[in-house]
Amino acid sequence: MEELPRQEFDSPYQGTDGSSEPSYWTSVTMAGVLFGIVAFILSLVSSYAIINSEPTGTIFSPTQLLGTLACLLGAFGGMVATWHYIREFDLSIKLGRGALIGFLTGVCIAIVSVVLNQVWQFVDPDMTQKVIESTIANMEAMDMPEAQKQQMIDATAESVRDQTSIGSQLLWGVPLYGILNLFTGMIGAKIFSKQQA
Amino acid sequence: MEYRNGKLYLLALVLIMGVVISALGGGAFGQQEFWLMQWQHQAFMPLCHQIPERSFWIAGQPMAVCSRCLGIYTGFALGWLLLPVIDCQRVFHGLVAKRLLGIMLLVNAADVLGDFIGFWENTLISRWGLGFALGMTATRLFSGVFFNRKIKSTGDLYGRITSSGV
Repeated sequence: MEELPRQEFDSPYQGTDGSSEPSYWTSVTMAGVLFGIVAFILSLVSSYAIINSEPTGTIFSPTQLLGTLACLLGAFGGMVATWHYIREFDLSIKLGRGALIGFLTGVCIAIVSVVLNQVWQFVDPDMTQKVIESTIANMEAMDMPEAQKQQMIDATAESVRDQTSIGSQLLWGVPLYGILNLFTGMIGAKIFSKQQA
Repeated sequence: MEYRNGKLYLLALVLIMGVVISALGGGAFGQQEFWLMQWQHQAFMPLCHQIPERSFWIAGQPMAVCSRCLGIYTGFALGWLLLPVIDCQRVFHGLVAKRLLGIMLLVNAADVLGDFIGFWENTLISRWGLGFALGMTATRLFSGVFFNRKIKSTGDLYGRITSSGV
């Protein structure tokens, strides 16, 4: 029997483009999944904070101040991915590669958080409706003309529904997470590389 | 002045400018629909808390991001835009830039935490200013990466082998 040439698919030093650069997919997936889960948990905490808050008559409840602690957290995935890649293979990477790793990590974060959000719809199917009801109850406590109040309620309810649709989440999540993580990927390449990129 | 990685520099410049323009929100462009429904707010929703009381307002509408996030984006955009100019001066680069970035990150984190706990109350301007400094400092990491001004000697000994420094 003729022996087939041996292909080393498992070699970490096999680049995606066939070059000798190590593959970055492990780092991208690891950081993407990690930050995707963090982004999902933050959105979940925010949603249940709205559901369990008393109507205050202000647009945003004080519990949402928690969000200030987590602002821009999802943009650091690119930096973590480049850090992991550089540390794993003990090498120096070019700025463009850092940007690519960051961008792909951002895309991964967006996809993971969208998938987890959809899975949660099975765990608690009424969550979106409860968020809408709680938001409406809060707005009804506001001191403003009835017509304006009704317009705000309609717009907010539509906005909450939009946020939970897969299309809307991917449409905005993929490019924005991608771009911001592209920058942090470049920053990571500069900070963690052994030499100047 | 020499330059390299020109395409990457321009791509990043276009992207960060796009982010800044989007972050201004619908008020800057006279959009009439309720601000919560505007595409800018929808786009930044997963990344920023967007609390109106902690955001700047334009034409009666809050921007799509809070004042600190706006500061980070504008600082980074301005720093990136000025890279060719500042690189000639070679200020805050290399290890100094890394340390400065670390310090600015810690200062911002301390400001967020201090305000959250109630040690002090920060303002729109202070949050924007700290964010701006963080964004601007981050661009100093890229000093000498895209642009480099080589100062060539034009003296009598230019191009000759000399014994100085031996």
